[in-house]
Amino acid sequence: MFENTLFFLSATLTIVGAAGVVFSKNLMHACVLLLGSLFGIAGLYATIGADFLAASQLVIYAGGVVILMLFAVMLTGGSADSSNKFGIEKIPGMGSTKTYVIAGFSVLVISFTILKLMANFMKSYKAGELPAFSSTVEEIGTLLVTDHVLAFEISSILLLGALVGAAVIARPRKG
Amino acid sequence: MISLSSYLFISFTLFIAGIAVMIARKNIIAMMLGIELILNSAALNFAAYSRFVNNNLEGHLMSLFIIVIAAAEAAVGLAIVIRFFQIKETIHIDDAAQLQS
Amino acid sequence: MEYTISTIAPIVLLPFFAFVINAFIVKRFTSLAVFISCASIIGSFFYAARVFFDFLNVFSADYYIHKTFTWFDLSYGSFPFKLDMGIYIDNMTATMLFMVTGVASLIHIFSTYYMHDDKRYGRFFVYLSLFTSAMLALVLSENLISVFIFWELMGFCSYSLIGFYYEKEGAGNASIKAFMTTRVGDVFFLLGILAIWSVVGSVSFVDIYQAIGMGKFNGLYALGIPLATFAGFSIFMGTIGKSAQFPLQVWLPDAMWGPTPCSALIHAATMVAAGVYLSLRCYPLMEAGHLTMFIAYIGGITAFGAATIALVQTDIKAVLAYSTISQLGYMVLGVGVGSYNAAFMHLITHAVFKACLFLSAGSVIHSLHDHHTHAHVQEMPRMGGLRTKMPYTFLAMLLCTFAIAGIPFFSGFVSKDRILGDALLMALDNKAYWGPAVLGFGGALLTAFYMFRMMFLTFFGEPRDKELYDHTKKEGLSWNRNVPLLILSVFTLGVFFSGSLTGQGFIKVSSEKYEWFKTLIVNPTKTDFSGRQAQPLSFTANPSGETFSKSKYDSTYGLSEEKAHHIHHVHHIGALVSIIIAFSGVFISAMMYFWRSWNPGFWVSLFSRWYRALQNKYYFDDFYIKGLIQKGLLPLNRLLAFIDMGLYDRYAIDGWEKVNRALFTISKWFDNIIVDTVAVDGTGASVRFFNVILRTIQSGKIQFYFIMIILVLTGYIWTLKI
Repeated sequence: MFENTLFFLSATLTIVGAAGVVFSKNLMHACVLLLGSLFGIAGLYATIGADFLAASQLVIYAGGVVILMLFAVMLTGGSADSSNKFGIEKIPGMGSTKTYVIAGFSVLVISFTILKLMANFMKSYKAGELPAFSSTVEEIGTLLVTDHVLAFEISSILLLGALVGAAVIARPRKG
Repeated sequence: MISLSSYLFISFTLFIAGIAVMIARKNIIAMMLGIELILNSAALNFAAYSRFVNNNLEGHLMSLFIIVIAAAEAAVGLAIVIRFFQIKETIHIDDAAQLQS
Repeated sequence: MEYTISTIAPIVLLPFFAFVINAFIVKRFTSLAVFISCASIIGSFFYAARVFFDFLNVFSADYYIHKTFTWFDLSYGSFPFKLDMGIYIDNMTATMLFMVTGVASLIHIFSTYYMHDDKRYGRFFVYLSLFTSAMLALVLSENLISVFIFWELMGFCSYSLIGFYYEKEGAGNASIKAFMTTRVGDVFFLLGILAIWSVVGSVSFVDIYQAIGMGKFNGLYALGIPLATFAGFSIFMGTIGKSAQFPLQVWLPDAMWGPTPCSALIHAATMVAAGVYLSLRCYPLMEAGHLTMFIAYIGGITAFGAATIALVQTDIKAVLAYSTISQLGYMVLGVGVGSYNAAFMHLITHAVFKACLFLSAGSVIHSLHDHHTHAHVQEMPRMGGLRTKMPYTFLAMLLCTFAIAGIPFFSGFVSKDRILGDALLMALDNKAYWGPAVLGFGGALLTAFYMFRMMFLTFFGEPRDKELYDHTKKEGLSWNRNVPLLILSVFTLGVFFSGSLTGQGFIKVSSEKYEWFKTLIVNPTKTDFSGRQAQPLSFTANPSGETFSKSKYDSTYGLSEEKAHHIHHVHHIGALVSIIIAFSGVFISAMMYFWRSWNPGFWVSLFSRWYRALQNKYYFDDFYIKGLIQKGLLPLNRLLAFIDMGLYDRYAIDGWEKVNRALFTISKWFDNIIVDTVAVDGTGASVRFFNVILRTIQSGKIQFYFIMIILVLTGYIWTLKI
């Protein structure tokens, strides 16, 4: 019962947040709604017994990425020049009806595609017995330093590169 | 009642939402929000398959790496956005249509 | 003495380096530059003296130094195209070197006096150094090409020095005139070199002598003219231009616009003598080409004609200029009548006394300063009585005048008399030579007359311009004013050249070494050149004097006793006649200008037409400018212009234009329809069409790419058979 409640709450939060991100007219609101959606996903991770993953999701996304987004929004400010240097009127940053129509069409196309693929898959899927939950932290730690040590090290290098690269790129330059 | 298809549906919704944001928005930061949604949908997919199909932790690890990569991507992408803003005084995606500044 | 690069090269290179150095430092360090010039030419004189006394010591007509190096060698197969550069020193060269460096040294020293107050004092010495080195290099040259090079270099120096006072219009014109007139001769000279090259395949003097000895010129004709005649004539034309012979004598009197020391060096002593030197070097060619009579006539006409013009000149430098032309005429006459060594001796003696005369004239001119016009006075009617004011100049000039007039015991008598004696000998042999002989003797009379006229007008009698006379300072002995003159005037004594007092061999100084000049300077046709070969420049083991026989040559060598007696006899007659002529010339001059018993005005009125002709220099300038240039060259130019503009332009060019216009119409149509409309506009339109397509695809808009990616991916997935 608790699991079902948690699942529904989380799923609702996720989908509402995602919809908010799509339809919000304010970038700051969109960020906050994204935060909500990410919390929902963390909840969904919890419902499938991925405790370490849920914690990571909360810490990295909610605490890191979204804060970063918010900073970026505040740094770039509400730049709203409505026309480019040729005098042609620009589409507003948060989209217009036209862009939403195009987006809707694209989404329609891709939905059919994905649903077709998923239908094929679901035909061959048979649900089996689900094992009981157990803590995954220890096992993930073991796997990271044994089977997946290469990917782990590469991701650490990637993070270092991203750190240095971001600092270099965003550094204010003269001229 | 809670089965694989529930998770896949949520993942699908997130993915669709991300695609829609990517196409409909003209603000680069807003587009990056869409990217995050798409990455999360993939990560959720991995985790769900790990639970319902494989019964091991490979999917968790993959999700973990996606989170790491998403963090790196967000850092570098936002740095580029800020740099772009310093040069062009705007973060409108249509202003980034030239290879030369 | 061993001849290496270090014993010969300094003769030329010292003045040349002086020129190079002075050209850079002359503006700032003028007196240093002058010192360098003088020191270098005196150093050069010592090197030349070493060579000269070595040759005198060997005392053989055969002695020679011939060293070459290959300048370039483009020979291909049997076709020779090789040019050597090098030196050829025989007795003539050694004597010339000694004379040129000696005279040039004294003139350099005199110039420090004469040019001292000039504003281009230093530059004058730069030119003098260049000129001297060019002259010495010409003398040392072993082939005609290098002679030609230095010949032209001297022509340039002459041009610069005549136009030295370029502020004056006359000086500029005179320099151009001199340059252009000698150019006529130089063109012929170059033609002659080419003709010789075509036959001999070399331009070295020794090779030319050998070729003539082997008869390579025999039977060769160009346009019906024997090639030897053509080559000899062309080279002699070079002499005519450079030595101011009839009919190209017009430039030399105008050359007097230059400063007097350069007139002394270039237009009297050395450069004009280079023409005669060339003729002497090419004497075998002249003989092979049967040109001697032509040369004799040219020389005779020049000697006499120039002397007549000199009779009426009032400018002291003009008198000397015409006397120079006249004396050069004697040298050429000597070449023409085969009196080879006398002609060369006259070249040397004339160089000495004419340099002295010019320097003396310079000394006179420099001291006569007109305070009204601030100019130096050159007009003889304003002089007179200067004997007491400048005794040293007077003494030097008097000795030189004796020499040029042919007074016995002086050098001019020795050399001129030999030429005239040989001319008389030729005339007795061949009646056609009577013309040059008579002209020569007549010229001698006139020479004595006008030279003493100049002396009387300048130094004797009462001063005609009292104010000028009173302003003139009394001359003191000065190292750079009179001493060079006196040194030169000492060498006008005949004993230095003949070894005897009279030059006729009456008194033999020693049993063996009498008349060194006659012994050493030998007509090349009498010498055997067949075995001679040039040495490489690095070869130092020179033939020592012992390997050469003591000279066997004299004027009577190889002749029968009767013939030799005849020659001796004729020369005695010639000597007597010249002595009589010289003294009668002096006597007439004294009657007219010293005792004033005869009035020159009477003779002027008697021969008034001739007088006008003489004053106008026989209308040569008028003839060249009004006749040859205005009536000949300008109409020719107009004709050429008509051919160019009227015929060529009108028909060839304009007609071609019409053809072009027709072609143009066709090509314009083709251009408009085919090229422009179809090709160019079609290309543009197709590019624009594809541009529209490609522009929409590759817009740079990321979201458009994104949609495209989605569509393509979707299409791909729908094609999969899942």
